[in-house]
Amino acid sequence: MKQINTFSLLASGAVVSMAIAGAVGLTAPALAGDMAYPALEALGQPPIPSDNQMTEAKIELGKMLFWDPRLGGDASTACVTCHEPDQGWAFSDSLSRGYPGTVHWRNSQSVINSAYLGQLFWAGSAKSLEKQAPSAAKGAVAGNGENDVMETRLAFIPEYRERFNDVFGTEWPRIGDAWAAIAAFERTLVVNDTPVDRYLNGETDALNEQQLAGMELFNGKAGCIQCHNGPQATDENYYNLGVPPAERWEEDGLAQITFRYEIYAKGVTQEMYRELKDDPGLYFRTKEADHLGKFRTPPLRYTAYTAPYMHNGTFWDLEEVVRFYNDGGGENDFTDGTFASTKTPKLQPLGLTDGEIGDLVAFLEAFSGDEVTVEAPALPPYAALPSQ
Amino acid sequence: MKISRFQEGVARLLCASALAGAAVATPTVTWGEDLGPVVAPEFNAAKAELGRRLFFDARLSGDAAISCASCHQPENGFTDGLPLSKAYPGSDGFRNTPTLINTSLKANWFHDGRLGTNLNDVTRESLTEDYSMNMDMRLMQERVKQDPVYVEMFEAAGMGEPSNGGIRKLIPEYLKTLISKNAPFDTGTMSDAATRGQELFTGKAGCIACHDGPRLTDDSRHNTGVPENPEIWSNPVRHMTYAAFASFMGVENYMNVRRDVGAYIWDHKADGSTIGTFITPTLRELTYTAPYMHNGMIGSLAEVVAFYNAGGGDDANKDALLQPLGLSDGEQADLVAFLEALSGDPLTSSDYVWEDAIPTNYPAIENWREQKN
Repeated sequence: MKQINTFSLLASGAVVSMAIAGAVGLTAPALAGDMAYPALEALGQPPIPSDNQMTEAKIELGKMLFWDPRLGGDASTACVTCHEPDQGWAFSDSLSRGYPGTVHWRNSQSVINSAYLGQLFWAGSAKSLEKQAPSAAKGAVAGNGENDVMETRLAFIPEYRERFNDVFGTEWPRIGDAWAAIAAFERTLVVNDTPVDRYLNGETDALNEQQLAGMELFNGKAGCIQCHNGPQATDENYYNLGVPPAERWEEDGLAQITFRYEIYAKGVTQEMYRELKDDPGLYFRTKEADHLGKFRTPPLRYTAYTAPYMHNGTFWDLEEVVRFYNDGGGENDFTDGTFASTKTPKLQPLGLTDGEIGDLVAFLEAFSGDEVTVEAPALPPYAALPSQ
Repeated sequence: MKISRFQEGVARLLCASALAGAAVATPTVTWGEDLGPVVAPEFNAAKAELGRRLFFDARLSGDAAISCASCHQPENGFTDGLPLSKAYPGSDGFRNTPTLINTSLKANWFHDGRLGTNLNDVTRESLTEDYSMNMDMRLMQERVKQDPVYVEMFEAAGMGEPSNGGIRKLIPEYLKTLISKNAPFDTGTMSDAATRGQELFTGKAGCIACHDGPRLTDDSRHNTGVPENPEIWSNPVRHMTYAAFASFMGVENYMNVRRDVGAYIWDHKADGSTIGTFITPTLRELTYTAPYMHNGMIGSLAEVVAFYNAGGGDDANKDALLQPLGLSDGEQADLVAFLEALSGDPLTSSDYVWEDAIPTNYPAIENWREQKN
């Protein structure tokens, strides 16, 4: 029943160009140079897809399913396993936890405010939460589940039969509806009232002097706004910053296995399978050399809770991140010509003082708001079906 | 005597009607001439040794919890001694674990015979099926490549670099070594009771109609009316596992089915006449492989013989070959003695078992950045 997914090469190029086109023409603060970027804005309500409307019952069901490890291969791994509420709805290690017997290969991203994103996963391989959830539940180093088993498990849980029937009107739970319910729950995990949001909404005392100084740097000298712009503080575009390869790949046998598995499973040339020692990122989706080592700009709200940072969790606190940018980013296997040199020219040494670095960190912390805590739901048991 | 499949069928029908007492006729075909020792296939020792280590390595399952040997245990004739097998964590089995002894000589595999190609495919199915080992073979390949012992053994066996294709060749090579050895039937050391049992087996009891050849099976499907195992339907995890399997196999209305349809999945015959058929099992090594039948519903050989003596179970599609046999208690005991004489030495020595510890983790590759993947 295990099926090998054919890799889709669709759409990514078009999406990237749309994102760029969308950026042009909006009025925004000008930066040094003549480029204009969308201004940071207070975050509104997340978009709700017309084919997955929110209801209380659907959200409640989605919350239960988010916690339910039976939506995974060996019934041990739930969404929450790698998106822990008390770890920023992410996982507090460089590489995510991974399915038993494995370690994952990228840093777990927060579910908070994922509702606003059109490009999910670090290389944007899912375009909606409804598509992200099954991908995570099925990958061999994530949930390692199969649709038929996961769907059938739900059918043997009477409370789910009732709830799916109530929400979706089906006699038996359908796995696609499970992902829809999880997506609906995730759309409730919103943080849009951070001090920065309140300030942008006109509450002028929401930020202190240091945070305001940080914001000015963010929009100006530090140039963060080049990519972290608009209401979500991300342009959802793809860049190579020169984040160094994960250290664990050099030290940890399990991580080495997963690294090779990913480049094998996602499909690269034989030569690249032999030679790659770094994550090709967006390249996996497009197979275009220009996309080697590029990852989607992450949003910045809630980051105070989601350490470590970057697609491979290389940096353990926000100051390290800011210092990395202050140095003009770094070097990796896709900046030095080994495979390509795709590092974004947007990154240049910034010449920030220690004080300015502290101001930027203070601003980022003010972008995080209160911690989102949720009480774990009780999970309903299996029961035998009536005999026929 | 070599007879065609058609002739064989005719002969069986004749035999069955004779057994039913409708006519007293000497069958035109004498059964049993092709019973005899199992001929061991040739195998490559280095490859078989490598396959043996793989067979006992739990890292070949998705969450590294179970190996092939978790269910196919040498001390139980490469079964697990349970009525219904265990399964991958989170699932539970709905059939009895079949023995792997002589499996390399079979014509088809699994109780429903759904694979009729080769052990390479059977190995793939068992490794990847979500309720058996739930392994993504690409990940399996990279795990095996991370173990220096395997890298060395693959090289020494002429298999080059570890690969998932290689693994699927090597496990079957090991399975070729699992061949019945020194059964009293083969060595000519049967008891008098067993010898009388053989007469009944090939004659009055008619077992030979399906259980023929060196492995004592026709490798075909039959409905003998074995009762359903109620545990499959009362245990939601077993039932769930079966329902997921049935949905994948295209069984109509699979959520409302309350029986194991068996080899019906070959043809989905509209009249339902193939529902409840299962492949005739081998009769070798039975003393190690209780309980019996595709769902473990019969606990002892005496009970199995009593079941056939009664003409099998109760099923609308039951094979007409099954009729009450009228065997006396003594005759039934003789048959059991013959069946027991079909079991040989246990395959539990280091020729068959990987006895060294197999690591559960993986060393890092030194100078990783300088090594080719």
